[in-house]
Amino acid sequence: METKTKDYVSYSDALQAFSRGLKEPEWMLQLRLDALDKIEDLNLPVIERLRYNRWPLFQVPDLTGAPAPKTIDPFEFIEDKADAARVIQTGNDTVIETLPESLKEKGVIFTDMHTALRDHPELVKEAYMSKAVKPDTNKITAFHAAFMNSGLFLYVPKNVVIEEPLEAIFIQNSLVEDAFIKHVLIYADTNSSFNYVEKFLTKGNKKNAGNIVVEVVTKAGAQIKFSAVDQLGENSTVYFNRKGYTFRDSSIDWAIGAMNTGNVICDFDTDLVGEGSASDLKAVGISSGRQTQVIDSNVVNIGRNTTGNIFQHGVILDRATLTFNGIGHILNGAKGADAQQESRVLMLSDKARGDANPILLIEENDVTAGHAASVGRVDPEEMYYLMSRGIEKSEAERLVIRGFLGKVISAIPLRSMRDDLVQTIERKLTSR
Amino acid sequence: MAVLEIKNLHVSIEDKEILKGVNLKMQTGEIHAIMGPNGTGKSTLSAAIMGHPSYEVTEGEVLLDGENVLEMEVDERARAGLFLAVQYPSEIAGITNAEFMRAAINSRREDDDKMGVMDFITKLDEKMAVLDMPEEMAERYLNEGFSGGEKKRNEILQLMMIEPTFAILDEIDSGLDIDALQVVSKGVNAMRGEGFGSLIITHYQRLLNYITPDVVHIMMDGRVVKTGGADLSKQLEAEGYKGLMEELGLDIEIEED
Repeated sequence: METKTKDYVSYSDALQAFSRGLKEPEWMLQLRLDALDKIEDLNLPVIERLRYNRWPLFQVPDLTGAPAPKTIDPFEFIEDKADAARVIQTGNDTVIETLPESLKEKGVIFTDMHTALRDHPELVKEAYMSKAVKPDTNKITAFHAAFMNSGLFLYVPKNVVIEEPLEAIFIQNSLVEDAFIKHVLIYADTNSSFNYVEKFLTKGNKKNAGNIVVEVVTKAGAQIKFSAVDQLGENSTVYFNRKGYTFRDSSIDWAIGAMNTGNVICDFDTDLVGEGSASDLKAVGISSGRQTQVIDSNVVNIGRNTTGNIFQHGVILDRATLTFNGIGHILNGAKGADAQQESRVLMLSDKARGDANPILLIEENDVTAGHAASVGRVDPEEMYYLMSRGIEKSEAERLVIRGFLGKVISAIPLRSMRDDLVQTIERKLTSR
Repeated sequence: MAVLEIKNLHVSIEDKEILKGVNLKMQTGEIHAIMGPNGTGKSTLSAAIMGHPSYEVTEGEVLLDGENVLEMEVDERARAGLFLAVQYPSEIAGITNAEFMRAAINSRREDDDKMGVMDFITKLDEKMAVLDMPEEMAERYLNEGFSGGEKKRNEILQLMMIEPTFAILDEIDSGLDIDALQVVSKGVNAMRGEGFGSLIITHYQRLLNYITPDVVHIMMDGRVVKTGGADLSKQLEAEGYKGLMEELGLDIEIEED
């Protein structure tokens, strides 16, 4: 699996063949090649309180286009639901793709990235790595732009309102050695409104790198509720970037559970560009074993009267590390902007390492901003109250922790996803 | 019949002695009231019996049917039959009220005898109707965002669901309007019976108009200074704590409201 990290340009021919094999539009190939040129010269993004330059993040994927030698049965992970709106991918393959007729008729597109690039190249181009995440932002994004090997495209047209959540499940195939370079692009057109939920899992124990970019672009007045449960495996070293880009009066509400078991950087960012746009990020994380997870949430208020909230709660077990960076950045000119954040970490072991690190960068006077951060242990008052009703100490502790993580759980619209998150939390807590 | 007996109880908080030898004995079938001026140790008594970690018992015993509960953990005391309803219960987001109460009930039961969801809901609906609580309160997070009155009703709801042997109600009446007071009293009166005893701590006589006590204790300066029947609370209402102090020949500084 050792790949040379220097000579990225030597992959140029293979990358061209890969792109042509997928019948990608010319602009996409060009975007890949431009990014490939820049990888070497760009720096790693600075993540506060984390040194990760030795993390094996730069694994070049298989570019032959050959099918994976070992495949995954998706029904090991999911239930069969005939009429749901969902896309399920194992490794780089899309194995299930269902969208109700009623949504197709309205012009909703919910399909894998390769198909979208063939069938709707111009629509993808409008939003793909041109607004939220730019290829030349840093070394990791350039690597991603060059080597992206699978993904998902969701487009919801103007004024379309969808009640039932759209669901995506991505299962990393670590039965084989291959990089997981997944791209999710969600493009919400003017005044659309919907729920999207996604889940990331790993099957297998091979040591693989993940470089995942999820872009959410909301046109004027669009409203998105985005939720996710991440459960990537112990041997997956991952850079995970979810980023929103909001036009005027649009909003993105994020609810994310970072339940991975390997070393993961979670960069959860939103650029609040349009006037009056808003983002509400709720993230929970559990770190256990010897893993390190960093949740680095960065909300930038660019437009006037924009509102950005960051709420992060996490629990650390064993010898693990969990760091919350909350970065609220109000740019000059963003009058009337509001940036609020709360980061709290609960440590359940003496060997655990936790950090809650609020950063407010304010370049404008006429704004409101606030932060709260804490690193601590279970509140003895809450324990006393629960135990005074007869509940045993271990059970009381479990309830308090679940309560502590509860705000994010309750923000997830899909019941199965909510239950899944609760079960994952229970499993992590009882494995102590 | 069960007996709760407090013997020569001394309790300190941060090295300051608050209870200076409390003696009190009650049994199931009885309702006792403890009255007294502010700062006299009434709440300390209830917290010490339940086992709040901030209170240090320096001397004495609390016997439940002869067993010293002070040697038990908080949860063991609860399972032994004690219950404490408080004025300011913790707010815990993420745990629903119903889920919490079911966990509390089942903590008292063997693994093969856990209360099922249907039985639980039936009982819950019944008790919530008595307390005039809307159904949605069962699915709200434990005390989170509850008003003062809602919290107290919720404490009484837990009391009715858990059905302890002895319940201590610590100033559950303070801040309640007449309607809420009547509802709370209705809940406690519904519990009244041979298998249940209650120790009601209150600052005012008002609550005792709705729940008639069998025995009234007056506490001052960390001790029970007088014990009598229901009339005692009425006498106190008429004469005030000052009058009682003169009668007893006590010289204690009391905090006025």
